[in-house]
Amino acid sequence: MITAERKPMAEIKAMLEPYRKILVVGCGSCVAECASGGEKEVGLLASALRMDAQMEGRTIEVQEMTLDRQCVYEFIDKLTGVVDRYDVVLSLGCGAGVQAVAEVFPDAFIVPALNTTFIGETKEPGVWIENCRACGDCKLGYFAAVCPVTRCAKGLFNGPCGGSKNGVCEVDPDTPCAWQLIVERLEKAGRTDLLEAFYPPADWSKQQGKGPRKIQREDQRSES
Amino acid sequence: MDQKTAGLNITIFFCQQLDTDQDKNRRSLEKELGSRIRFFPLPCSGRIDPLHLLRALESGADMVYLITCPEGACRYREGNLRAWKRVRYARKLIEEIGLEGTRIELITGTAATPVTIDEVARELLAREAVVGVSPVRNSGKHGAESGEHGAESEEHGAESKE
Repeated sequence: MITAERKPMAEIKAMLEPYRKILVVGCGSCVAECASGGEKEVGLLASALRMDAQMEGRTIEVQEMTLDRQCVYEFIDKLTGVVDRYDVVLSLGCGAGVQAVAEVFPDAFIVPALNTTFIGETKEPGVWIENCRACGDCKLGYFAAVCPVTRCAKGLFNGPCGGSKNGVCEVDPDTPCAWQLIVERLEKAGRTDLLEAFYPPADWSKQQGKGPRKIQREDQRSES
Repeated sequence: MDQKTAGLNITIFFCQQLDTDQDKNRRSLEKELGSRIRFFPLPCSGRIDPLHLLRALESGADMVYLITCPEGACRYREGNLRAWKRVRYARKLIEEIGLEGTRIELITGTAATPVTIDEVARELLAREAVVGVSPVRNSGKHGAESGEHGAESEEHGAESKE
């Protein structure tokens, strides 16, 4: 899922400063899972904004809405007829959600309330960790499902580096050595032969070398 | 100073496990103080959400208390410990908008003697008020208007849908 964190209130307030009628829109998917942009967080932020305005004697109107997904047009459609009643949309979606809403409502002014952070795994309640960089050239099949690009501080394809101690990374003692995990898992699977191979550098053009990436699946499209 | 005379609005969220006769015990105090005091029983203090605390403040509470079981005595093991974390989160959020964090307070019940919720509330009311009337309330209704799902349409937050 996509993780995100709320921006500081001062930054949100500064973006909203010229506006009086605010529509706060959350997203019930990824950012709800990481407790930054779901219905509760929309409620908290809207409540804080209302109280802040009240304390400063400003008149604002804040409406709350949470879409199931803010990056899918079918869900964004629920904002039709609502968005035009507000001066600004404060989106608690990830960057994709913010831009999708802006795409659907070209005349509306959309501002983000979150800083989109990374593709994360829910390690435990309240802890999210980055295990994938969406590099577009996945090699997890060779590395026993442990990504050395993301989880090794040095991003080594041909490791280990020799700097880890007691199974933890020399760069950050809170991080398990990705290469130790790779070797252990390959041993368990009886696939240490994969360690014999030489892995050339990744093809980074698949990440962002050619601008925004796009996936097009003809079998999924409605238009022929 | 009695907060009743100071005119402070008080919201009290509390763990129902603290006082099994809580319905009966809080009723007379509610009658006495009217809307100045509002009680919200929770099945466990761990049920509290920062949103409940903010909605209470937004709805006009000057002080919001959360009363938990004594440490180590939570029927659900760590509800009161979780409550602490949520209170800290809500405090941080209100401090970001310039509201005193001390407007939200966590009170830990005592293990020594069984408590009744009205007794605890009276003790709180008799305390020296560390904060005055909330600037949210003080600025009157000329300020922000709440949306459809805003504070006015919610029963103080505790009963808010999840």
